[in-house]
This record gives sequence, structure tokens and C-alpha cells, in this order.
Amino acid sequence: MEEVDHIIIHSLRVIGCDIEEDVTNLKQFSTELIVSAVIRCLKVINSDVDLPNSLPGGMSAKFRIGTSMAAHIQELGYRGEIGYQTFLYSNEQEIRRVLMFLVDKLPKETAEAVEEVLGASVLLQRTIASTLAQQLNSVWTPPYLKQNSITWRGSPPHWQREGASSLCKFHASHLHIPQGMTDLKRKLPKALRSYYSQSLPYVTNQTVHHNDTSSSVIEKMASEITAQQEWENEWNQAGLASRLSEQEYREKKKNKIRKRVMDQLRQDVQRSGDFAASRKAQDLQQMIDSISSRAGSSTKTKGSRFTHTEQLIFAKDEEKTMSQMGGESEVGQGHSEEEIQNQRDAEVEGLREEVSGLVSRLEQMDLEMRKFTASIQQMEEVVSTQGSTNAEKEEAYTVKKRTLDLLPDAENNIAKLQSVVDGSAQRLVTLANQWEKHRAPLIDQYRELKDLSSKKESEGEKKLEEIKAFRVRMKEVADDARHKDEHLKQLVAEYERMTKDVNRSAYTQRIMEIVSNIKKQKDGINTVLIDTRAVQKEINQLTGKLDRTFTVTDELIFRNAKKDEAAKKAYRHLAALHESCELLISTVEETGVIMREIRELEDQIENESKNKVLSNLEKITSDYQQMKKENTALMAKMKQRS
Amino acid sequence: MELSQAVIDSLSIVGDSAHVPNKCYQRLLDAAFDGVVDSEQRNRISGDEAFGGVDKAALKEAYAGLVSCIIEATKHDTEAASLEAVLEDCKFTADRIKAFISSYQERKQILQILLGNVGVTPPHIVDVDWRLDYYIKNNHLEKVNQAVYLISLKTEVPGKPGIQDVQFSCTQEQLQDFVGKLKDATKCLEKISASQ
Amino acid sequence: MLLIFDDKHKEHLSFLTDTETDVVREFCKISMEFIRKGSNRKIYQGAAQKLKVDVETVQHGVEGLMYLLTECSKLMLNEIDFQDSILTLGFSEDMRQTLLELYLQNRREIRAIMSEMAMDLPHYQNLEWRFDVQLASRSLRRQTTPVVTFKLHIDDAGERETKVLQTDPVNLVHLTKVLDEALQEMKSPYCRRIARNIK
Repeated sequence: MEEVDHIIIHSLRVIGCDIEEDVTNLKQFSTELIVSAVIRCLKVINSDVDLPNSLPGGMSAKFRIGTSMAAHIQELGYRGEIGYQTFLYSNEQEIRRVLMFLVDKLPKETAEAVEEVLGASVLLQRTIASTLAQQLNSVWTPPYLKQNSITWRGSPPHWQREGASSLCKFHASHLHIPQGMTDLKRKLPKALRSYYSQSLPYVTNQTVHHNDTSSSVIEKMASEITAQQEWENEWNQAGLASRLSEQEYREKKKNKIRKRVMDQLRQDVQRSGDFAASRKAQDLQQMIDSISSRAGSSTKTKGSRFTHTEQLIFAKDEEKTMSQMGGESEVGQGHSEEEIQNQRDAEVEGLREEVSGLVSRLEQMDLEMRKFTASIQQMEEVVSTQGSTNAEKEEAYTVKKRTLDLLPDAENNIAKLQSVVDGSAQRLVTLANQWEKHRAPLIDQYRELKDLSSKKESEGEKKLEEIKAFRVRMKEVADDARHKDEHLKQLVAEYERMTKDVNRSAYTQRIMEIVSNIKKQKDGINTVLIDTRAVQKEINQLTGKLDRTFTVTDELIFRNAKKDEAAKKAYRHLAALHESCELLISTVEETGVIMREIRELEDQIENESKNKVLSNLEKITSDYQQMKKENTALMAKMKQRS
Repeated sequence: MELSQAVIDSLSIVGDSAHVPNKCYQRLLDAAFDGVVDSEQRNRISGDEAFGGVDKAALKEAYAGLVSCIIEATKHDTEAASLEAVLEDCKFTADRIKAFISSYQERKQILQILLGNVGVTPPHIVDVDWRLDYYIKNNHLEKVNQAVYLISLKTEVPGKPGIQDVQFSCTQEQLQDFVGKLKDATKCLEKISASQ
Repeated sequence: MLLIFDDKHKEHLSFLTDTETDVVREFCKISMEFIRKGSNRKIYQGAAQKLKVDVETVQHGVEGLMYLLTECSKLMLNEIDFQDSILTLGFSEDMRQTLLELYLQNRREIRAIMSEMAMDLPHYQNLEWRFDVQLASRSLRRQTTPVVTFKLHIDDAGERETKVLQTDPVNLVHLTKVLDEALQEMKSPYCRRIARNIK
């Protein structure tokens, strides 16, 4: 019973009953405590219950509360007998029964726990609540006392961000990381290797700002993983079906792409070829025009861009000379200077004309040369075709010549030819035979091999399918594993929180103890039962034996009694002995029955004494008195009123 | 946590005592962690003479692998157990795994701060200054006689050094409204924090 | 405190002393319109024709009345001061009562109009807030960072400006506390004494 009381008291404390520390069993519960505990339980079970938390003073109010409490408990499904007296004039056992029922009805925490396992959202809510609580309770620090807006709180210290001064954008730049440096099979150009070992900065030193290192690393990792997944997908779908090794497949793909790029480029080049050529010709035309215009006229009114730039280059000198000229003419210098100038100009003009002439001639020559090379090519082609026809003709000629040579001795030669023809025909036949001989086994072999290869192919196909299936399975299993891992993590977190609740383990321990106790008791009962059964058996045996011996002795003595006087006496004594012994046995049995009755009665007495009948009676009488008083007071009031 | 094949290969170099001798391992570990965390130590490894006998190209690869692993683990808040599994796959010995994990746990929060620094937010209020004026008159009106508060919210703006002000004035009623709303918010937070 | 009128003003208003109270009422209405929307010559002309006087005189009358009302409102004269001030203008008792009534009626509106003309600082208009928890970012996948985001509406001479700000719980608590203290400061004996003494 003590364990039960402990559990009940603990649960009552958990729901917020004010039970003093030294109260360890239900016997110590006072009426007030009982009432308040029951009301608390009722409120926890059903929040609609409207009862005062403590016992009121008036007797009638007490009675009312008692009855309504009883009604509530019956509503909850309590089967036992219950009324106001259960609480007001309590008896330990009844109260225990009622409280056990109520504690059993209390909303279960276990149900909550099950829910939490299902929803990670509750866990999340909790972490949010706890971080919030922590932050709300931490002391404010001025911004200039925080390094990078971070403060460290609690023990063990945990950081929290209280500002934004150190934030920076996610800015990733390209990182270069050497790969496969320890792979001896990999061929690496020597220059690259020396670059790696001497000049390449370490990964944390590659970005301009150190802040960007982590973003860059994250970005690089993400892109690598994506590429890997992409490749895996492709390999699973297209790669495996192509039945090439991984390297071959890559090679093939590379070539394919290269070819496509090349085709594209070639097409574009061709398409733009005409256009570009015309553009080039235009440019050329323009250039020639501009040059000739510059050469032809010294007026600088209009010109192409080219002439302008050209002018800009030469302009300075010219301008200088011009200004000099102007200055000189204003001053009015000698005639000869001007003449010299004119002469020079003329010379320059002449030279320019000559240059342009030469240039145009060069152009012409160039064109001619191109033409000539083209014609040379043509000619070469003609020559080659001519050569081939020539060779053919020569052959025909030799054949014809030989036949002509053979013509004079026609008969003979025909015969000879005939024999030669015959011989070759025969040889052909033998060869054909031989060929047949060789051919048959070869064909057989060929067929066999073909069969084999097709078989192998189908096998390969099958295996491919299997591989595909395996890959799918692999993925599934990996996913499953991941899920399970997550679940495990959740459960572990759950478990960690659970262990905080020491009571649970105490409970289970106690329950285990109780169970083992019960087992022990059961064993004891069993042994006692067996003992009793054995004793019963013995008794039965003995009585049987007694009966039998008695009848035998009875008969024996009875027979002798007719003849012998002493025997008659003995018989009478035997009968008396038997009777008195039977009496004795029945007396013993009766004593046993009475003893049992006594014990039962003692138990009953104990029970009754537990019910606190006397004190309850006293209480009832006092309450009755109080009630009477209240009633008389009320009556008096009524009278006063009326 | 998922690592690319390249990183796993690089980590395997770290795990291989033929390439990273035992006496260098802890040095490499410290250099990698500090290189990630501390901008002043970002190039510490290049000057370290402890790695004199190690092939620099391989060292660079190994270092990059370690750095990637550290950052990725912090990013995903990876548990020690799964980290152990990853390192085991990369042929780390038990001692090396232990050293790595203890270094990781030791600096985990600092690493989290570092990665938490990446991002953008609106200006963040860190403090507030106020001034109470009694508005008496202006050139159009006399006897205005009204309390006026000048509020200056001190904010930190990501990417800008120092503190930026957000200034506005308000009358007593407006401030009442403002404070009322702030109190609402605080109460809401308290409620959430108590609901565990 | 009394309002001192200069002679010209008195002269302008003297026209009104000879008219009926209804006319003064009408003039007051016109003056208020003037304050609200600016002058309107057409009304002056209509009034001048009705009263058979110069447009000029009407205009002066209206303007004089307007000046009287705005000056008094500006100084926030009380009833007695107002009555004492216009005593010198030579209005009849009845007329003075009418003027006082009109003054008291319109003082509020005039002050409101004038306060709109006054220089103003950007001032608080509204605040919206919400509570977020940052659960993950691109570079840190597991975190719970509580953040309170504000949208602050500020009115700067009719132009509305909204600012998006944020803060964390620690600073929010601090902010609330400091501003609440500021609010309480106004109720402190010191501030009350000052408010009481500046009248």
C-alpha cells in the first residue's frame, strides 16, 4: 500500500496540490487535504468543474460540495459507492480507491510524449521557446562593447547575435584546388605541377577578402556535388545503356560535343564568309579611294574616316609648315623660298602619285597572281585527268598489240589459248572444291559464334537491367537509412529529455519491485497450498486406514465375542474407544473452525477500526450539532424577518 | 552532410600518414581551423616550417580538403558520430578522428558565428536615444505648449561601418502608441518563450 | 495680455462699427474663407454692391477682421483679454459679444491651420511589427535566431516614408524599457512643474 500512496501523493504534488513534505501515506490526510486534492484532480481532468479550492466553513456548504464532488466523480465513471460522506467522514481505503481512480484519470503525459515523437514541430517549438527565453532574460549590452555584434551568454557560453555590423553578403569567387596530387597514375604537366607546388596560394588565401572564403568553399562544394549528381543521372540513364566504360563514354561525349561545336563554327564561318569578303572588299575600296583622293586633291573638304586619321597623323607637320608658311608670307620673305616650297610640294605630289600608281599596280599584280594560281590549279587538274586517260589508253594499246602479234599464227595460238583456258578452268574447279571444304566448317563456326555472341548480348542486357535495379535499390536504401538516421536523432533527443524525468525510472523500479514481491508471495501461497493438500491427503489416508482397521478389528472381535467373555468386554471397549476418538476429532475440527471464525472477526474488527468509526461518529455528531445550530440561527433570522 | 568526390579524395590524403606524417597532423589541423576562422592567419600554413618535408602540391590539396570538410560540417551542424563515419571512410585513424572532432567541437561556435555572418538583413536596431523637448511657440503660433520627443534609433547596417541613425519626432500620444506596440511585441515574445 | 492695434488697422475696422451685427457675421464668414482658401475679389465686389460702398473698404474690413482673428488666435487670448483688446475699437456691446462668440468659435480652426504652416520635423506615424525565427541560411543550415521585424511609418511634411528595421529580443526589451522611461519622464514632478509654469 505504501507504494500506491507514494505514487498518489507524487501525482498530486505534480498537479500542484500543497502537500507537506512529511506526509507519506493517505492515513495522514486530513479532510481539508482530501477535499482540496480531489477538487484539484477534478479540475485537471475537466477544466469546466466549478468548485472552490478549499473547504468552506458552513456545514451545509460542506455537504453541498461533498455531494457535487461525488456527482462529478461518478460522472467520470467511478463504479464504487460514493457520497458526501466519503470525503467528509473519510475512511482510508475508500479514499485510496477514489484517489487511485482520479490519478488514473489524469491526462497522461505519455500520450503527449507519443505525440512529440511524431512531430518534429514540437521540438522546434521548444528550441525556439528556449532560445527566446534565454535571450529575453539576458542583460542588454551597448553596441560598442560587443565584438562583431556577438555576445556570449550562459554557461557553457553560447553565442547570440545582437546586431548586424559584421554581416556580409554571400559572395563566392572561384577557388583553384589541385586534384589527385598523390595519384601516381595521373600524368600532370611539369609546369602545372610546379605551379601547384610553388605559386598557387592556399585555399584560405585565394579570395580577395577573407570573408568570402567560406562562401566560396560552400559554392564550390555545391557545384561539385551537383555536377556529380548530374553525371550519375546521366550515367544511369544513357551511360549504362551504351555499354561503354566510363572513360570511353566520356571520351565519346567529348568528341560528340567537339564535333558539334566544329560543325557549328564551320557553318557560321561559311555563312559569314561571303558577307565578310564583301566587307573586306569594301574596306579595300575605301582605302584605295581615300588614298587616291588624298593624292588627287589637296583640298581637305571631305574625306573618309581613314583620311581623317591619316591627316591627324600627318597634320602636325603640315600645319606647322603651313603656319610657318603663313607667317613667312605675311612677313613677306624672298621669292625663292616660296619657289622652293612649291617645288617641294610638286615633288611630294609626284612622289605620292608614283606611290599610288605603284600601289594600284601591286593590287593588280596581286589579283593577277591569284588568277594565275587558280588557273594553275585548273591546269594541274586537267593534266592529271589527261594522265589517267593516257594510262588507260596505253593499257588498251598493249592488249591490242599482243592480240595483233598473235594473229599471224592463229590456229596454233587459238589451240594454245584453248588449252590454257581449259587448264585455268580446271584449276578453278579444284579451287572451288577446296574452298567448299574450307568454307563449311568456317560457316559452322561462324554460326556458333554468332549464337554465342547473341546469348552474351542478352545476358549483358539482363545484367544491365539488374545493375539498374540495384542502383535504384541502392538509392532507396540510402534514403531509408537517412530517414532512419533522422528518426534516430529525433528519438535520441526525445530520450535525452525523458531522462530528466527521474520519477519515471523510480516508478518503473518500484513497479518491478512490487511485481517481484507479488511473485514471491504467489510462490509462498503455492507452497502453503501444496502443504495443505499434502496434509489433507495424509488425513484422508489415515482416516481410510483407521476405518479399515476398525472394521477388521470390529469383525474379528465381534466374531470372538460370541464365544469369549473377555472378547465381549474388549468389543465394548473398542466401541467406546472409537466413539470417543471420533468425538475428539470432531472437537478438534470444530476448534479449527472457531479459530478461523475468530481470525475473520479479528480482521473485521481491524477493518472497522480503520474506518475511524468512533472519530467519524464524533465528527458526525458534532457536525449534526452545528447543523442544528445553523438551522436554529436561520430559523431565528426567518422569524426576525417575518 | 554530403561531400564531393574531390573533397573526399583530398581528405584521404590527410588521413594517409605517408603524405601527412603524424607529427604534422595536429599542425595541419590547427592551421586549417585557424585559417578558416581568423583572417590574420589565413596564410599561416604557407610559412610553417613543420611542413618542410611534405610535397607542397599534395599539402595544398589536403589543406583544401580539410577546409571544405570543416565548413561543410559546420554548415550542416553535423553530429560527431556522422563526422566520424565520414572521416573513417577517408581512412583516418582513430587518433586522427578524435583529434579532428575535438578541434571541431572546440571551435564549433566560432565557426557558426563565421557562417552566420553571411547574409543580409534590414538595419538592425541596437540602441535608442531620446530627447524630451517642450515645444513653446513658433513663428506662426504661440503657446503651443506641447511635449515633443525626439527619438533616434541607433541601427547597424550590414556592410556599413559604425552606427546609422533613424530619427523622428513624436508627441506624447504618438510615443504612447509606439511604446504600446513595442510592449505588445515584447509580451508576445514572452508568451512564446513561456510556452515550452 | 492685450492686443495693441495700430492706427491703420483701427481705421480699416472702423467701417464695421457702423454696420449691423449680421454684416459683421457675414464679414467673419468671409474672413474665415480667406484664412482657409485665400482672398476672393468676387465676393468683395458682391458685398460692396450690397452695402453700397467701395470694394476697397470691404476688402480692408475683411482683412482687418482676419488679422484681428489670427493675431488673437496666435496669442491664444482668453475671453477677457479679447474683450478688453477690442474695447478700443469702438464696437457696441452687442457687436463685441458677437465678435467674441465668433472668435471662440473659430479659434480652434485657425490655430489648426496655422500649426500646419509651422515648421515640422519628420514624425512618427505608425509602427507594424512581426516576429520571425530564422531557421536556416545558405551558409548555416541549422539555427534558431529570433528576429523582430518592424515597419516604421514616418510622416515628413505630408510625405510618407516607410523604413524596415529589425532587432533581436534583447534589444527589443531594452528599446521598450528606455522608451517607456522616456514616456514616464513626462509625468515626473519636474516636467509637470515646467509644463505648469509655462503658460
